Amino acid sequence: MNRKFGTIILDTAFRYLVPFILVFGMYVLMHGEYSPGGGFQAGALFGIAVVLGRLIQGEEAMLNISGNTAIILAGIGTFIYGFIGVLTMLFNGNFLEYGAFPLNMAEADRHALGILGIEIGVTICVMATIIAIFDALTRREEW
Amino acid sequence: MKELSLIAVLLVLMVVTGTLALFLKDLLASIILFSAFSFFAVLIYLALGAPDVAFTEAVVGVVSTTFFIAALRRLKRGCSR
Repeated sequence: MNRKFGTIILDTAFRYLVPFILVFGMYVLMHGEYSPGGGFQAGALFGIAVVLGRLIQGEEAMLNISGNTAIILAGIGTFIYGFIGVLTMLFNGNFLEYGAFPLNMAEADRHALGILGIEIGVTICVMATIIAIFDALTRREEW
Repeated sequence: MKELSLIAVLLVLMVVTGTLALFLKDLLASIILFSAFSFFAVLIYLALGAPDVAFTEAVVGVVSTTFFIAALRRLKRGCSR
């Protein structure tokens, strides 16, 4: 939204709520393989935190990512996903075969590390896409 | 048996909210009813033992409601006629 409609109540609620949303998003991302959740849900939670700031505090929000930055971030997230996949091919594995990483650890640990890298890419991409869609829907246009 | 009746009640609520969301004239009320529809879907997924799907559905329900209301602000009138 371009102009804010927050009152002091909404503003204070926002300040207390958003840190918990961000911490929960990080928890969902890090524990994706043990509990429900994963990259998509964590990215949507981060995106909701930023969209909430845009709704309540307007353009001059504390936690703001502009639409153009969001599109660049979405590209970076997709690149992380593809880069990790191609990196395993460079180490004589298949696409996204995490066991091919030449790291001195157990096979399961290598899998967990590779899946975490993929999920970070998915998280950044989903967060940035949600912010970009919201920005496109609320952008003020001149006519 | 108890779970089956719970799922049956939730399914009836889903049908009611979904049909109402289709036929209401006020678009804001339609969006809120669609959000309720999504929430009943979350409860059904939980009752069927799929917390992962339920989590995704809850998050997507919130995001899509925000998008619909942001799009509604761009319309001249809030009614479909």
